Amino acid sequence: MGFARFVGFSVLRAWQGFWRNAMMSLAATATVILMLVLLAALFIVIAGLNSGLEFVESKVGVTAELQDGLTDGQAEELVAEVAALPGVADVDYISPDEALARLRAAFAERGEELDFGGADIQLQATIEIALEEPDFARDVSLALTERRDVTRITTRQQEVDTLVGIINVIRTVGIGAVGLVGLTVLFMIINTIRIAVYSRAREIEIMRLVGASDSFIRWPFILEGILCGLIGAMVTIALVAAIWEPIQPVMVAVFQMPTSVSREFLATLALLLFGVGLGVGALGSWISVRSYLAGSS
Amino acid sequence: MTSLLRRRGRPQPPDASVIGLSGVWMTYPNGKVALADITVDIPPGDFVFLVGPSGAGKSTFIRLLIREQMPTSGRVRVAGRDLLRMRRGQVPALRRRIGIVFQDFRLLPSKTVWENVAFALEVTGTPRAVVRERVPQLLNLVGLHEHAHHLPTQLSGGEQQRTAIARALVHDPPILIADEPTGNLDPVTSWDIIQLLIQINQLGTTVLMATHNQEIVNAMRRRVLALENGHLVRDESTAAYERRY
Repeated sequence: MGFARFVGFSVLRAWQGFWRNAMMSLAATATVILMLVLLAALFIVIAGLNSGLEFVESKVGVTAELQDGLTDGQAEELVAEVAALPGVADVDYISPDEALARLRAAFAERGEELDFGGADIQLQATIEIALEEPDFARDVSLALTERRDVTRITTRQQEVDTLVGIINVIRTVGIGAVGLVGLTVLFMIINTIRIAVYSRAREIEIMRLVGASDSFIRWPFILEGILCGLIGAMVTIALVAAIWEPIQPVMVAVFQMPTSVSREFLATLALLLFGVGLGVGALGSWISVRSYLAGSS
Repeated sequence: MTSLLRRRGRPQPPDASVIGLSGVWMTYPNGKVALADITVDIPPGDFVFLVGPSGAGKSTFIRLLIREQMPTSGRVRVAGRDLLRMRRGQVPALRRRIGIVFQDFRLLPSKTVWENVAFALEVTGTPRAVVRERVPQLLNLVGLHEHAHHLPTQLSGGEQQRTAIARALVHDPPILIADEPTGNLDPVTSWDIIQLLIQINQLGTTVLMATHNQEIVNAMRRRVLALENGHLVRDESTAAYERRY
């Protein structure tokens, strides 16, 4: 009963305090929204790039061009030996005829026709090696280079490395930007609550003189900071929810993020925004009230 | 009305002081001595004046009693508690045992008389039903029942001080400290406030009043503590005090 009264008192005073100092409170809330929008954007881009990376990694394999003139028996032997290498999931032999058929199909997809002017074209036979994990690409490539029946090896490892590099840069810059905005928000909230505390210095003094405990003095201000964070988080989540459907085609097309994954991701993002909003609000007001109360007895 | 402030709880032995300072020194970091070797005992139910020129140490004396400051050395006991051994978390409980009023009333201008008094109860977690019962009792005691819904700006100085006194009494404290309560009031209103303080004292509350008002001190014939440059230069009845000055 006593605790319920304390909570009721603190929430009511926080609400009154928020609106009494409306301009400052709304300015602090706006900066919370700015920070959370940046955070949400960063989170979406990084999640999208990670999803894209997974997609690319799933396609990482090793393609080996084979020496001309291998007999079917030699080719079968080669496939069997490569399939036995550690990390190899599957090996497909592409004969010169199949390679030519693929090339024709690729041209046809572009609406063109493959035409060598009647020349007799003989493409190289290849083997396409699917890997259990992209990390095996290097070892498998090394094993293949030692073989005389393999003339050239290509992998998509370089593309993966480039993508990982881009993601790391975006992540670092993004975290730095969110961190800086986060600090600004923290200072805004500290300042807002400090002004609120000073504007109610008389009330605080009276509360102390009549024997109010520190909790009764401190919590309304902390809740006021939390309220800035809470409103900021709710507005940001509403904004993200509003743009979520329109950006779905982009998430699928650019980042290969399946819709089922993206729903789960949206729930995680909402939780993150709530957590960060409330956390920054609570931390800022706690710092502000603590420094004020520590200076008075 | 009389039952409102009748002292409750365990009866105290007749020699127990409600305020006790023993060898108290208070020196500020700049070296200024605010209080020098003060030893005072005030028994329950006493009405004591604290006098002295500005800067004599009256405010420091009061701040020590409500534990806004700690002495450099010595012992301070208030309402049966040793303030030096008291933890920070215990200070609110001490302050509910001490009512305090000031020269400038310190009311919240946006709250009515009723709300100003109720505020002191609400911020200490008092149930709403108790607040509704207690506030009218206190407003009756100080004669402000009819002004319950007025804002402080709509009241005279005397009425504002009465509101502050009602607020100081919300927790039924055994001690009431009045720091220059008549400093901002005209002579007639000052006597009105003194009359109220006497009534409160007669109901069993110990009253310590800091004042510059020589006329009131002389007329009241109560115990007087006189401070000068931080030293307790007199501690005697008003009759003896009057003979000297």
